[in-house]
Amino acid sequence: MTRAMAVLVFAMWVSTVLWVSTARAQTDTFSIQDGPAHGPDWLAIGGHGELRLGEDRVRGVTNPEWFSVSRVNGFVHFTPSSHWRMALEGTFDHPTDHFVMERIEVGFRSAPSLEIHGGIFPLPLGRVNLSHDSPRSEFTELSLVATQLIGVPNAMPGLGLKGTAHEGSLAYEVDLVTGFSDGLITESSGGTRLPMGRSNYGDGNGWPALTGRLSLHPNDKTEWGLGGLTGPYNDTQVGSVAVDETRWVHLFVLDGRTSWAGMRLAGEAGVAIIDVPPSLQGLYAQDQWGASIEASRILFDPIFTKHTSLSFALRADAVDLDRAQDGDSRERVSASLNIHRQPTSVMRFGWYYELARDRFANNTPKAGLTFTAATYF
Amino acid sequence: MAGWPQFGSGGEDRSGASPCNGVVQDAAFGRFFTRLDRLIPCVLIGVFAAWGCADLLTTEPGPGERFDQPIDGLDNGELGDFQDGQIQFRRAFTIAEGLGPIFNNVSCASCHSGDGRGVPENILTRFSRSTDLALDLGGPQIQDKAIPGAHPETLPDGVLVSHRLPPPVFGVGLIEAIPESTILAGQDPNDANGDGISGRANWVTPPPYVTTDEIGGGTAPRVGRFGRKAQVTSLLQQTVDAYHQDIGITSSYRATDNDNPLAPAVNGVDPADDPEIGDGSVNDVMQYMRMLAPPSPGEHTPIRDRGETLFSQVRCASCHTPTFRTGPHEIETLSNRDIHVYSDLLLHDLGEELADHRPDGSADGSEWRTAPLWGMRITREFLKGELFLLHDGRAHSVLDAIRLHGGEASAVRDAFLALPSEDQSALIDFVESR
Repeated sequence: MTRAMAVLVFAMWVSTVLWVSTARAQTDTFSIQDGPAHGPDWLAIGGHGELRLGEDRVRGVTNPEWFSVSRVNGFVHFTPSSHWRMALEGTFDHPTDHFVMERIEVGFRSAPSLEIHGGIFPLPLGRVNLSHDSPRSEFTELSLVATQLIGVPNAMPGLGLKGTAHEGSLAYEVDLVTGFSDGLITESSGGTRLPMGRSNYGDGNGWPALTGRLSLHPNDKTEWGLGGLTGPYNDTQVGSVAVDETRWVHLFVLDGRTSWAGMRLAGEAGVAIIDVPPSLQGLYAQDQWGASIEASRILFDPIFTKHTSLSFALRADAVDLDRAQDGDSRERVSASLNIHRQPTSVMRFGWYYELARDRFANNTPKAGLTFTAATYF
Repeated sequence: MAGWPQFGSGGEDRSGASPCNGVVQDAAFGRFFTRLDRLIPCVLIGVFAAWGCADLLTTEPGPGERFDQPIDGLDNGELGDFQDGQIQFRRAFTIAEGLGPIFNNVSCASCHSGDGRGVPENILTRFSRSTDLALDLGGPQIQDKAIPGAHPETLPDGVLVSHRLPPPVFGVGLIEAIPESTILAGQDPNDANGDGISGRANWVTPPPYVTTDEIGGGTAPRVGRFGRKAQVTSLLQQTVDAYHQDIGITSSYRATDNDNPLAPAVNGVDPADDPEIGDGSVNDVMQYMRMLAPPSPGEHTPIRDRGETLFSQVRCASCHTPTFRTGPHEIETLSNRDIHVYSDLLLHDLGEELADHRPDGSADGSEWRTAPLWGMRITREFLKGELFLLHDGRAHSVLDAIRLHGGEASAVRDAFLALPSEDQSALIDFVESR
């Protein structure tokens, strides 16, 4: 795509974002319960998309990809009764160049405290994996712990239970899912990478993994959650020949969000423990961790129009993909000035600076100035 | 979400406003802050902008400050080849792509820090029975990693062992461009000049796949110039062997997987078909290394100039030859230029202290190729601030390395150690500025 054509496409996209925002402002058809989707109460059809224009440099050298479609999502949610729901949702995620089927899910709720659901659904590993729509995010890039450790968007086939108690102040989810595959090692270059072991469609290894999350919601603005997954990840046989014993992966994610002094605070931290065959230890990590914390604050509300606000957000995040090494880690700070047309659209002016360390602990600095536009449609 | 029941643990809640909405609805927030503090982020952004996009978006290291820069004078086509080769050099192989079955590391770049030398953690262990490479025991190199289903090698009993730190890969194209006759002109195998130093070439017969079309190829013995004992004559062999022995990647030149001969064979554990890379990838890496420039030396200072004089006076320069003239080369910019490699590329007996007692080609157990000194100036930057010198990285400073010189270098070493400490410092400063 030529630069001129890219500018034209981007301008058209921004126009679309503005048009959607304006149309929403004129009709004001959505509400807290209706949300940014189309159709009658029992049917929601929609999606969201994000375009990114940016100047990214690695060690002073400009990345040739300065224009991209970051994310495209489509969803259909069907609620034939108060007990039944069905969902279909897919996302093309450009940073990983993967299409992820986030939901092919059926749920039956007998009571608020008990819903049985099955199909493909996002693993309850942190708030970000459960909720990462582009127009709602303060940042274009998801956090390092989300993308490098948890593998957001990370959805797998499975079956489980979930529900709430104490008028929604306590929520739980527990599922059996297909679990990670040995792709986290065999498909991974340069070390253990859990996202390479995601099994979005098929079975990872013939054995299920157990995953779940417990969360507290003391008030509307506060949530604390603890999620985890444990299960085997490898094939133990090639044909009829036993080649290895069963290897396990454990992943724990603590997340929280709250408001304080006029700011919205959110954070997530994860730890992964991987049972690596002895013959690969030293090159493939057995312990990984990552964390991110972000703060955002409304600067002006309204600005320009009634439903438009201007916010500023800061985030610090880090991930260590091999705790046994000095290197194989990344750290990043991000800042973003965002114009939200609530809740459908956002335009962000962002900057980030990242230090990536190779296995020798050599630093490779990377930074970018970005302009992104994201909207529901 | 229209009609979507808001129950369960987390989940995509598309029914609310933006993440800031809770704050928007917090009527109290504005009272805590003045308009000024709302402007702080805007001011910060303005400051960033004034600071300049270049610094905001990282800056490129200056010329000669890295090991992975192309040599000057390449044309556009050659620069394109350089980029292709850099990608291949950095490519980390997965098991699915052919890594293993037994191997040492996953990519070229995994052993050569920033394209410079390696660290003791990724040292290679070579072994043999005298000149017999002990292929039946898994020689000539231990592969201590293995993919699931394969068995890593362990050191067999009764073999000769040599530990080798991965060498720098920059500047090898310039070394390749030095005519054999120029290297041979520096030989003095019988110490005819009586200076106690008797360098000689390592004559090595290239493997059959290194044909006469390749520099250092052919059926007759050629002058070895790469490797710690100058045991390799061509970059093609160096590249093919590194893929095969270090990463377990087969090419058409060595098309059979490297298995552990002392372990039971398990078919099918390496899922990739052989050859696992094409000749183009091998060629890309070879061309990349050819075009890597050596870092530029540091600025002249009075102390360094004094050190340079002493470097010649105590006869370090007898082996660490400061300057060579390259001959014709297919890459035009490598041709006919003076290079400051600080090595004569010949074998020298460095004494019992450094001997590994393991022959390599015609090099005996105490002979080593004179190590090039170029790139010393920025070596620490790529080794976590440390230095690992000599063939196995045992020396952590230039002074340590000099002290460990023996054999032919004993007299030079003693001459250095007899210098006043400020002169020793000046000489070391000069060496570390190369």
